[in-house]
Amino acid sequence: MRRNQDCNGIDHLIARRDFLWGSAAGAIGLGALSSPLNAAALQRQQKRVLQIYLQGGVSQLESWDPKPGTQYGGPFQAIPTSVPGIHISELLPHTASRMHMLSLVRGINSKIGDHRQGMLFMEKGRRAGDYPYLGSVVSKYLAPADAELPGYIHISKRGIVDSTAAFLGARHAELKLLGDQAPANLASPNTIDETADEARQRLRVQFDRRFSQQRSRALTDVYNSSFEQAEKLMKRKAMFEGAVGEQDLDRYGRHDFGRHCILARDLLENGATCVKVTHHGYDTHAENFNFHLEQLGEFDKTFSMLLDDLHDRGMLDSTLVIVYSEMGRTPKINTKYGRDHWGTAWSVAMGGCGIQPAAVIGKTNDEGTEVVEREVDGGHLFHTYLSALGLDSTTDHDVAGKSIPIGDPAAAPIEELLA
Amino acid sequence: MNSNATIDPVQTHLISELKHSRPLTTLRVDPESRYVAAGAQDLDVQLWDLEDGRLRTLSGHQSWVRSIDFSADSKQLYTACWGGVVNIWDLTQDAAPIIRSIPAHQGAARWVRVSPDGTRLATCGNDLLVKLWNIETGEQELELKGHERHVYGVDFHPDGGHLVSQDLMGAIFIWDLKTGGQQRKIDAGMMTGYDKKFAADMGGARDMQFNACGSRWASAGITKVVNSFAGIQDPIIVVFDWETGEATRQLRAAENFKGVAWAVRFHPQGFLVGGGADKSGKGELWFYNDGSDEAFHTFKMKSAARGVDLVGADRLAVAHADGHVRLYQMTAEATEPDDIGSIPAVDRDIADSDDLDSGLPAERSVLGPEGR
Repeated sequence: MRRNQDCNGIDHLIARRDFLWGSAAGAIGLGALSSPLNAAALQRQQKRVLQIYLQGGVSQLESWDPKPGTQYGGPFQAIPTSVPGIHISELLPHTASRMHMLSLVRGINSKIGDHRQGMLFMEKGRRAGDYPYLGSVVSKYLAPADAELPGYIHISKRGIVDSTAAFLGARHAELKLLGDQAPANLASPNTIDETADEARQRLRVQFDRRFSQQRSRALTDVYNSSFEQAEKLMKRKAMFEGAVGEQDLDRYGRHDFGRHCILARDLLENGATCVKVTHHGYDTHAENFNFHLEQLGEFDKTFSMLLDDLHDRGMLDSTLVIVYSEMGRTPKINTKYGRDHWGTAWSVAMGGCGIQPAAVIGKTNDEGTEVVEREVDGGHLFHTYLSALGLDSTTDHDVAGKSIPIGDPAAAPIEELLA
Repeated sequence: MNSNATIDPVQTHLISELKHSRPLTTLRVDPESRYVAAGAQDLDVQLWDLEDGRLRTLSGHQSWVRSIDFSADSKQLYTACWGGVVNIWDLTQDAAPIIRSIPAHQGAARWVRVSPDGTRLATCGNDLLVKLWNIETGEQELELKGHERHVYGVDFHPDGGHLVSQDLMGAIFIWDLKTGGQQRKIDAGMMTGYDKKFAADMGGARDMQFNACGSRWASAGITKVVNSFAGIQDPIIVVFDWETGEATRQLRAAENFKGVAWAVRFHPQGFLVGGGADKSGKGELWFYNDGSDEAFHTFKMKSAARGVDLVGADRLAVAHADGHVRLYQMTAEATEPDDIGSIPAVDRDIADSDDLDSGLPAERSVLGPEGR
């Protein structure tokens, strides 16, 4: 059954909490927030998402949920943070001093100990099925129509380009940047001036129109989206060409992750709606402790600098920041000083837009082997992210007349985490 | 103990085991071969008296102990932990109290060694520093800077005037303790690897030891990194010449052994003993002589070896990942049970000797004494 037939973008998605807040405020009036005017306001506010994906499965025991001195606690200590009562691993001293900007979810039981399936669950909020990633959903509903950058940009040095948009269409698929290098061929050939370029674009559109008259629009959508994304990037190619400032490099670090986070900041500041940065190297079946020292040592300061910049530039309130993995790591330490895959009791961190700061939701037992309080999974997190952005995740996508629930109807937002 | 029998590593066999409840991380035997001290995946140090079998548990660290040393008279024990603290323990007292606790490093203190004259400790750690401490006062005497990555191992040259330290990237520094300066830098790049897939470095000295006369030192670790996150790399023991700084030998394990060399010891009779952990969780001891970089004998063990030390000249103590210290005898098995004091003998089936080097015994004769 088709619903929301005349839906244009985000109007029907504005979250219930915003609607109620608007009603209570009185000045705006009942229903005002669901009007196109408010949808435009939401877009003007340009809510954004920054995803920091710690690929491979960061150890919760070496990051957000340390258990020092216990059987499986490992060698590292827990340190106090800027929030009294919250302790995190000593491997995150810079993040610890910014804990008041973040919150932790320590009760994740995704029941998935597989990289691919775990990642898909965390990105789609569903265990199975052809659903769009969070970044594509955000691109669809939050990216302004006249956005000067693609709605969903993923910075990573490797990995496959996933089909992230599902039924939302190619326009909302991730644009993958291989590191901080400019994508190839951003400049027009020397032999084509601006006039010639406009002429060939007109010709292409004309051909497309004729082609699509007798075929499914989907066939030309991918093609058009590619051109549109390329066009946007070509107009903003200066972003990639400027040398990264020495001061930024000193602060963020001269490694790949540092450069990627500087680019992420710049992209968000220049209108990108969702930017995902992948930090590789957490699949520590061997030498878990030495590798977490190295990897989190790199993550900690860089992430903290990025958090500071978002805050200092007044962007944190409108940017949802998520630090996540596809799973956690086993409490049990194997004979290689490694920790293996573990979906049973692990953590993520988040902050910024719509998230109550300085909260800890959920709890694991003393040895970290199971969740003992407020168990959640990828479905709950997906709802929570969208709710924090002011989108009602319990409504439906409208796809060619077909209604598809945005979030898993079996899950719900973690209400106590929302601001 | 059959200590008068001829030492022959090919005859290595298990004679006893000492059990702890947690996986062990390291091990050291005192110079009188009376005590075995082991760190574990907990906050304590286990100290076994090999004469009477008594176990003392020393508590006081806030993190795992990763390196241990004894004073020459076996009256003091020195331990370094992941929390950066070095403790000095008084073994003359029954309770073995902590004499001094030194906050030696920011981040892990990876290694501790006592100077040949017994007055100073050398430590290194994740703060990229090598430090020298006065044992009597606990004061820092030197802070040596130069390493750019975590410093994994440090040891005194037997002349007492020099230190050698090695970091994650295989950078080895020779330090002159009179001047407090860096005397030489040696590249042991073969002992590190960059895992392209996971974008991380792996390497470092997992054990270091000079021979008795100081003409050589050996460093144990890894090489040929394939997938370090899964533990797929080769163990290696590199022997360096003190005069030239050259890596004169690169000792390997069998081709199918993938993991880490966690230990190396010069035996007084001239051969060299290594020990390590395979990715499968099993362990091996390797015995090398001067004739070949291949082990002339490999002794397989059911559990990963994380530390090896000599007990006298005829035995080896091994710290295992299954929580046991096992003692192995390097002489022929006695026809009648040996008297091994109060230490319980074990079922011989739990470890099997397997001579993998049937083609090598021609080179097996041990060469020149290098007594410790």
